[in-house]
Amino acid sequence: MIDRLARRRRMLARLALVVATLTGGPALANAQRMLVPMDDGQTNHLKAYGLTYNAIKAGLQAEWLLNYRGGAFLLPDAPELRRRAGLDGISVEAVSDAQLGAIRREMAGGNMESVPLEKAPKIAVYSPPDAQPWDDAVTLALKYAGIEFTAVYDTEVERGDLTKYDWLHLHHEDFTGQFNKFHLGYRDAPWFRELVAKNQATAKKLGFVTVPALKKDVAEHIRQFVERGGFLFAMCGATETLELAIAANGVDIAGEFADGTPMDPNSDAKMQWRRSFAFKDAHLEHSPFVNSMSDIDGHQVNVAGRRQPLGTFTLFNFSAKFDPVPSMLVQDHRSVLSDFYGVTTSFTKSTLKNGVVILATEEGAPWTKYVHGDYGKGTWTYLGGHDPEDPQHAIGNPPTDLSLHRSSPGYRLILNNVLFPAAKKKPLKT
Amino acid sequence: MVVVALSVVAGRDVRAQTESPEVLRAIELENAGKYREAIPIYREAMRTHPTPIVVLGLERSYHELGMSDSLLAPLDSVLAKFPREPMYHVVHLRTYQILRRYDALRGAFERWVRDDPRSAAPYSEYARVLIQLGRPASADSVIARAKTALGSTRDLQYETAQLRAAMGEWEPSANAWRLALANDAQLASAATYALAPAPAGVRPAIRRIFLMAPPERGARRALADLEIAWGQPQAAWEALRGLPPDAETATVWEDFGDRAMLEERFGLARDALGAAVRVKRTAALALKAATASLRAGSPADVFTLVPVGEWQSDPARAANSYVPLHVEALAALGRGAEAEALVAKYDKYLPPGQHARMARLLASAWVRSGDLARARQALRTAGADADSSDAAGLIALYEGRLDAARALLRGSRDQSADMALVLGIVSRVRGDSAPQLGAAFLALARGDSAAAAQRFVEAAERHPEAASAILLAAARVHAARNDAKRAIPVWQRIVERYASAPEAAEAELEWARALRRGGDTAGAISHLEHLILNAPESALLPQARRELDLVRGSVPP
Repeated sequence: MIDRLARRRRMLARLALVVATLTGGPALANAQRMLVPMDDGQTNHLKAYGLTYNAIKAGLQAEWLLNYRGGAFLLPDAPELRRRAGLDGISVEAVSDAQLGAIRREMAGGNMESVPLEKAPKIAVYSPPDAQPWDDAVTLALKYAGIEFTAVYDTEVERGDLTKYDWLHLHHEDFTGQFNKFHLGYRDAPWFRELVAKNQATAKKLGFVTVPALKKDVAEHIRQFVERGGFLFAMCGATETLELAIAANGVDIAGEFADGTPMDPNSDAKMQWRRSFAFKDAHLEHSPFVNSMSDIDGHQVNVAGRRQPLGTFTLFNFSAKFDPVPSMLVQDHRSVLSDFYGVTTSFTKSTLKNGVVILATEEGAPWTKYVHGDYGKGTWTYLGGHDPEDPQHAIGNPPTDLSLHRSSPGYRLILNNVLFPAAKKKPLKT
Repeated sequence: MVVVALSVVAGRDVRAQTESPEVLRAIELENAGKYREAIPIYREAMRTHPTPIVVLGLERSYHELGMSDSLLAPLDSVLAKFPREPMYHVVHLRTYQILRRYDALRGAFERWVRDDPRSAAPYSEYARVLIQLGRPASADSVIARAKTALGSTRDLQYETAQLRAAMGEWEPSANAWRLALANDAQLASAATYALAPAPAGVRPAIRRIFLMAPPERGARRALADLEIAWGQPQAAWEALRGLPPDAETATVWEDFGDRAMLEERFGLARDALGAAVRVKRTAALALKAATASLRAGSPADVFTLVPVGEWQSDPARAANSYVPLHVEALAALGRGAEAEALVAKYDKYLPPGQHARMARLLASAWVRSGDLARARQALRTAGADADSSDAAGLIALYEGRLDAARALLRGSRDQSADMALVLGIVSRVRGDSAPQLGAAFLALARGDSAAAAQRFVEAAERHPEAASAILLAAARVHAARNDAKRAIPVWQRIVERYASAPEAAEAELEWARALRRGGDTAGAISHLEHLILNAPESALLPQARRELDLVRGSVPP
C-alpha cells in the first residue's frame, strides 16, 4: 500500500514537472519570449539579424514571423540576448504567453506564417585574402550585424573547402577571368596591375595556364556546391559571370587580352545553358572594347549609349503559408526600394529560365532585380547591383558606414539570405 | 548648358560693340526673349558675315526654342568657309552633345582633326565632352591618339588630369594636374575638386607630387585645399609655407590665414598671417596677425606685431583697436599693472561700452597674477555694470565666496563650455563657502592646469554632494593636457564611486576612448558595454554605440 502511494506520488510529481516544463513554469509565465519587431518600430534592423543568427548559433530556438510586423523574430527572453540587444540598440519586446497566443491567432488569419529557425548556417564569402570587409556589401552587412563568416578564395575552393560551408556568397568577382574588362579604363592603375598579377600567380600555382581557366574551374566547384545542397547568394558582377562561366563548358569566352586567344566567334551557339542556374540564351559581348559581358544585365552601366537610368524596384508579396522560401527572401519594412548600380545591375527578363522565381522587379522595365531558384539539392539567389546604400558606387569611393544606415531596406534583403538557410525545411505546399 | 551661358555672357560684353547694327539688334531681341525674331537676323549674318558672336547667338536662340538641330545646316556652311576656327568646331561638338547624337559627335571631332591636324584643340574638347558623358575609357583613347598625332600631350594636361581622376588613376592624375597647374594656377580649384575623392592610401603619393621642387603656387594651393578637404588643416599650411616669400605668396598666406580665422583655427591663422606680415607689412594685416596670435594663445606676439610705437601717435584710432588688443595680451600674461597704466592713458579715448570690457580684462589680468583684491578693485572702479558681471561672479568663486558667486552668475548669458562647467558645479555644491573649489578654479584661470586638476580632486573630497562633477572637471583638465595616465584614475573613481551620478556615463565613455587610443581594445569594449547597459537613458548612448562599433571593427574606421 505504502509502495503504491509512493509510486502514485512520484507519478504525480513527474506529471507536474511535465506540465511545468510545457507551460514554462510560473517564473516565465509573463515573459517567456522576446519579440524583435522588424517594422518601423525597430531601431536597428540590421543588427537584429545578427542577434537572431547568434541566438540560433547558441542553440536557442527562434522563429521568423513572416509578414508579421515587417518579418519579426521571436526569440527566447534570455538574459544574454537582452544584453546583446541593449548593447546594439535593437528594439525588443517581451511577449507573454497570452500575447503570443494573440499573435499566433492574428497570423493564422492573414498572409503570415511562423518559420522555425533551427541551425545557423556556416557562412563562406568568396573574397580575395587581402580584401577589406568594406569591399563588398555582404561582408559589410555581416561585419556590422556581428555574424561570423570565413573568407575563401581560389586556393580554398580548389582544395574542396566549400563542403565545409552551408552558405556561400559571391560579389563582384568576374568568373570569366576577364577582370570585369576593367583593362579598358584602368589598365595602368596600380591596383589593377596588382590584381592581374596576383590572379595570374594563383592560376599558375594551382596549375592553370590562364586566369580564365582557373575561374571557370572555380565556377564549376561552385555549381557542384549548389547541386549538392549548398545555398548560394550572389550580387553584382558575380551573378552574370558565374552563369557565363558555368555555361561556357569547353567554350572560350574570354577575350585575347585575358587569355592570349580570341574569344570563340561561335560562342553564343556553343553555350550549354542547361548547366547554368538562372539564365539561358544570353548573347555574349564579343567586343573587347565594350565594357559588358552579355545582355543578361539590363542596365549596362559601363557602356555609354546602353546605360539605363536607375529607377525603383518592388518586392513581390508572396503567400507566406504556401511559398515560405521566397517570402523569407523579401521580408522587409519597405516594399518599394531605390535601385542601385553594379557591374551587373539587373537581369533581363528574356534571358531568365522558366521556373526562376522573380522576387523583385521594376514595373514596366524589361529587367528584374532579384531572382531565386533551386538547382539540384540546393538553391541560388541573385541580387543585382553593388551596394544598396551607394547607388552610383564607383571605384575609389569611400566605404559605406552601415551605422548610418541601420534600417537599410536594401541591406535587409542581403541579411534575409543569410538567415533563410536556417529555416527548418517544410514540405512544399505548391 | 552652363558652358553655353558663360561663353555667351563673355561674348556679349566684350565683342558686341564690333558687330554690325543688325547683329546688335538681334542681340537686343534675344535679350528680350524674342528668339524667333532674332534667329533670321543671326542666320542672315551667318550667311554674309559670320563671326563667333553671330554663331553663338544663333546657337543660344535655337537652344532656347529647343531647336538646336536647326543650327547644324548653317554651321556646316560656316565650317566649310572657316575650317580652322576653333569656336565653330566647339559649337559643332556641343550641338551634337546636346542632341545626344553621339555618332555624329564623333564625326564632328574627326572633321575638326582633318581641318586642323596639328591642333590639340579637337582632342582636348572632345575628350572633355567624353569625360562629361561618363565615358573615360573613350576619352583615354582620344588622348592616346593625340599623343600619336601631335607627338606629345603637353597641351592636353588639363584633360589628362581630369580623365585620370575620373578613372581612379590618382597618381597619374596628380602628375598631370601638377603640369596643368604650372601653366595656369587658376585651375587649383578644379584640381582640388577632381582629386578630393582620392582614397587615403594614395594621398601620400599625391602629396609627394604636389610638393616636388620647385614649389609652384598653383600646385601648393591645390594641395592646401585638398588637405583641408581631407581634414588635415595643419598639412594644408605646411604645403603653403614652402612657397617662395614674395608679395603674391603673401596674398595666398593672408587668404589662408583669414579662412583659418573664420574657422577658428587660430594656431594656423597665427602662423599664416604672421608669415604674410613679414613679407607684406600693412597696418590691417599686422592687426589681423596680432589678433590671431592672441586667440592662438601667443599673447606676447602682439607686442612685436603691433608695437606701441606704431600707433600711439593717433590715440583715437589706437583706443578703438590697438589698446584693447594690448590690454587683452597683457591680461593674458598676468601683467596687471601695465594693463592698468595703458587703460588709464587712453581712458578718455575709449569708446562707450569699452570701459566695462577694459575693467573685466584688468580684473582677469590681476586674477592671472593671483591678486584677487586688485581684481575686485578693478571691477569696482568700472561701476555697477562691471561689478555685477560674470567677471565679478568668477572672482567671488575664486575667493571661495559661493553665495556671491551664485548670485552674480545666476543671470549669466555666457554659453561657453567653461561657464557651463562653473555653473554645473556651483549649483550642486551646498553651503556658502568653498575655498578649495575656488582655489581650483583660480588655478585654472591662471593657466596652471596641473595645480587645477590636483585641487579639483581635493575639492571633491570636501564636497561629496558634487564630487562627481568636480572630479570630472579634474579629468577634463588632465585630458586636455593629453595626460591619459592621470585622467584614467579620475574617470575610474567617478565610475566606481559615483555610478549613479550623471557624470558617470561621460567618465566611462572618455575612459573607454582613452583605452582604445592606447590599444586596449578589450578594456574599451568592456567599458563601453558597461556604459550602454547601465545608462540606457544617457544622451551619450549613440556615441557609446558608435565607439563600440568602431572598436569591434563593425564599421569602417
